[in-house]
Amino acid sequence: VPADRKRVRGPEESQCPLLFLPPAAQTAEPREPRAGRGNGEVRPLFARCGLVSQAKGSSYLEAGNTKILCSVYGPREPERRDEAGVRSGRLLCDLRLAPFSCGKRGAWIQGSGERDLSLALSESLHPAVCLHRYPRAQIEVNVMVLENDGSVLAHAVTCASMALADAGIEMYDVVLGSALRQDGGASLVDPDLAEERGNWLAGYEENRGGVTLSLLPNLNQVSGLHADGELRADTLSAAVRTCMESCHKLYPVVQQAILRAVKRKAPPPEK
Amino acid sequence: MAVDMRLPTARKLISLPGSLSNAEGKHLVVPGDVITSDTGFMRGHGTYMDDEKLTASVAGEVERVNKLICVKPLKTRFNGEVGDVVVGRITEVQQKRWKVETNSRLDSVLLLSSVNLPGGELRRRSAEDELSMRDYLQEGDLISAEVQSVFSDGALSLHTRSLKYGKLGQGVLVQVSPSLVKRQKTHFHNLPCGASIILGNNGFLWLYPTPGHQDEEAGGYYTSLEPVALSDREVISRLRNCLLALAAHKVLLYDTSVLYCYESSLSHQIKDILKPETMDEIVMETRQRLLDQEG
Amino acid sequence: MATVQVSEAEKVYIMHGVRDDLRVDGRGCEDYRHMEVETDVVSNTDGSAKVSLGHTDVLVGIKAEIGKPKPAVPNEGYVEFFVDCSANATPEFEGRGGEELGVELSNTLYKVFNNRHSLDLRSLCICPGEHCWVLYIDVLLLQCDGNLFDAMSVAIKAALFNTRIPKVQVSEDEEGGKEIELSDDPYDCMRLDVTNVPCIVTLSKIGHRHVVDATLQEKACSVASLLISITHKGLVTCVRKLGVGSLDPDSIFEMTEVRNTGTEHPVQTHTRTHTHTHTYIYISEHYSYFFI
Repeated sequence: VPADRKRVRGPEESQCPLLFLPPAAQTAEPREPRAGRGNGEVRPLFARCGLVSQAKGSSYLEAGNTKILCSVYGPREPERRDEAGVRSGRLLCDLRLAPFSCGKRGAWIQGSGERDLSLALSESLHPAVCLHRYPRAQIEVNVMVLENDGSVLAHAVTCASMALADAGIEMYDVVLGSALRQDGGASLVDPDLAEERGNWLAGYEENRGGVTLSLLPNLNQVSGLHADGELRADTLSAAVRTCMESCHKLYPVVQQAILRAVKRKAPPPEK
Repeated sequence: MAVDMRLPTARKLISLPGSLSNAEGKHLVVPGDVITSDTGFMRGHGTYMDDEKLTASVAGEVERVNKLICVKPLKTRFNGEVGDVVVGRITEVQQKRWKVETNSRLDSVLLLSSVNLPGGELRRRSAEDELSMRDYLQEGDLISAEVQSVFSDGALSLHTRSLKYGKLGQGVLVQVSPSLVKRQKTHFHNLPCGASIILGNNGFLWLYPTPGHQDEEAGGYYTSLEPVALSDREVISRLRNCLLALAAHKVLLYDTSVLYCYESSLSHQIKDILKPETMDEIVMETRQRLLDQEG
Repeated sequence: MATVQVSEAEKVYIMHGVRDDLRVDGRGCEDYRHMEVETDVVSNTDGSAKVSLGHTDVLVGIKAEIGKPKPAVPNEGYVEFFVDCSANATPEFEGRGGEELGVELSNTLYKVFNNRHSLDLRSLCICPGEHCWVLYIDVLLLQCDGNLFDAMSVAIKAALFNTRIPKVQVSEDEEGGKEIELSDDPYDCMRLDVTNVPCIVTLSKIGHRHVVDATLQEKACSVASLLISITHKGLVTCVRKLGVGSLDPDSIFEMTEVRNTGTEHPVQTHTRTHTHTHTYIYISEHYSYFFI
């Protein structure tokens, strides 16, 4: 990994002070369970298109404290000709977590976790975009997570598909993402960061893990599915069903946000 | 569902007396080996002169034709000669020509002027033909062809100006070393077991269901996408595994050896043919039958 | 990933074959190619294994080193994965070509082992908060012929089974400083419990059906596949949709759910794979004793 010489970095190794709290204080931290929402409820969602004026299309999404900004550039001539496919275009996805977005400060250089998220994002968006309409071209999707409060991948997928729609890229359908955290018997939809981590440290029981699903709602196709942890097969399929339901709940919000952007761009009606 | 797991050492216990005895009678050399210091010989491919001594430059078998000494490498890319039948894959569509991967050193060339286009042999090639080259053959397509000439850099020029050559339709490609394909009068065989095979000199073997009738009008550029019958599939899959088994044991491939191997494999399930012990058994039996037939 | 070109007609042939449950090499949709497992193959490692599946060859070496536990989990050791796509496997991996695939593979491995039961990390702790064992699991792809994930997971499981970690003693001197002493006896070592180590099964969707252990040609016909890692108890530790296509929700349920339909089900398939892996890892382990 090349060293980042441009910025003054902190000490070689530093730790978050929260780790040094006495164990008693860590567990006693009073936290309202689910901040007053039911297990199946998603956090209130705020979504807008067209914030970045330089980009062909852009979108901003807020779900609870998770804040994501996405911009789309292209379709345009690729920088390296040899990489573009003759018959279909290329979709480049890049997801970054801002260094201050998580509890622990991250590096400016893309880490392997971010690369993994970028790949997952790209695989989830790919089935929806009509890339055969853009031979030899490349479309760039840049996602910046400003604040990470859980379910980042799911919201990044939704946000990116809104930006793609805003950029006027041909798509078969919008892509909606949804995440779920299974904690023993409880399935928590759209988990925040604390729920996502779960009581990983305390519990050794089985059947806990996370599921992220991307759905093309009108075609009823699953474009992305990522799960980890430990889940029984029946829990997994139940989780997939729950995720699909909550994707459908998101749909009207996303639809409205895109329509709003379209209306704003449209010329005023002639009298 | 079957998962067949085993230890690799289990296989090494079975020795192959047949292949060992074959190798003993041959003069095998490695690069740098002095073949002869007799100056009366001529230097052929795969050798060089060092201090009046004829030395090998490739690993392989020494061949002597009168005064000429060559070393024939046993594992090599395909060195094409005019008239060879090849099976190849289109890698690129260029101006008036296609580039074809044929397992030789450089990609081979198929000129637009050396293919038969639909509408008869005497058709003129128009500008439209040039523009619609991708409609005939596109990247990834397989063709059978004949070597028309060899360029000075060793690249091959192919032609398909006969109805037996052209684009290949549904079937299975098997790749083996070119030196395992026996040169014969014909490389197209309709095997009596119910499938056909093209034994390309370049080590690309094409297995396909025996066509019912030849569609002459299409000039070899028509491919049927109708489902192949299950019985034909079984024969083709069995033949494919037999070819791989024979190739793994370095048996020369030609219609008789393939057919014998097919027959001796009939007592096994298709998917079992590639298991080492089954492979040994089938190939041994084939060898025996080939020996019986020869002598 | 190493790619092969396949013509349209070949694709049609392969897809119809999958529909008829007869693949090009004679296998049914749920048959694996034959697999060879060999353990204890590299003497400089603490545990190693080589698996070949068709022409896919994977070599895994495990080294145990002493490190500092992560502050968040002071009483556990940890595992590091690294996958190297050697240019030996295919010229495409030359230079940085294999890097992308290597990162993808190793990230997936972290996900697969991201749970409390696959490996008992507490057994890797030497001295809470100060010293622990770090297992470096290095995967080397020697040849690629499709289905890297499955072969890799079997090789890792076999190598973990083969791993011997020397026993250490922590002694405290008068000033309260701690000293670590390694046992002199090479046979005095700790073995890892691998019963819960998951195996990966990748199902590739071709036409309307899915196949296990797809070859490169079959992979070229499939737009999407589902990777499932599963333990012998049937617990799913990782699911991932791979490839650029999308999947029908029903086919996902079909791929993951256990149903009593009489037909053999993927999950049963996976568990079966497991048992087989187990048996053979054990056998290979005992077999290697003959040569010591």
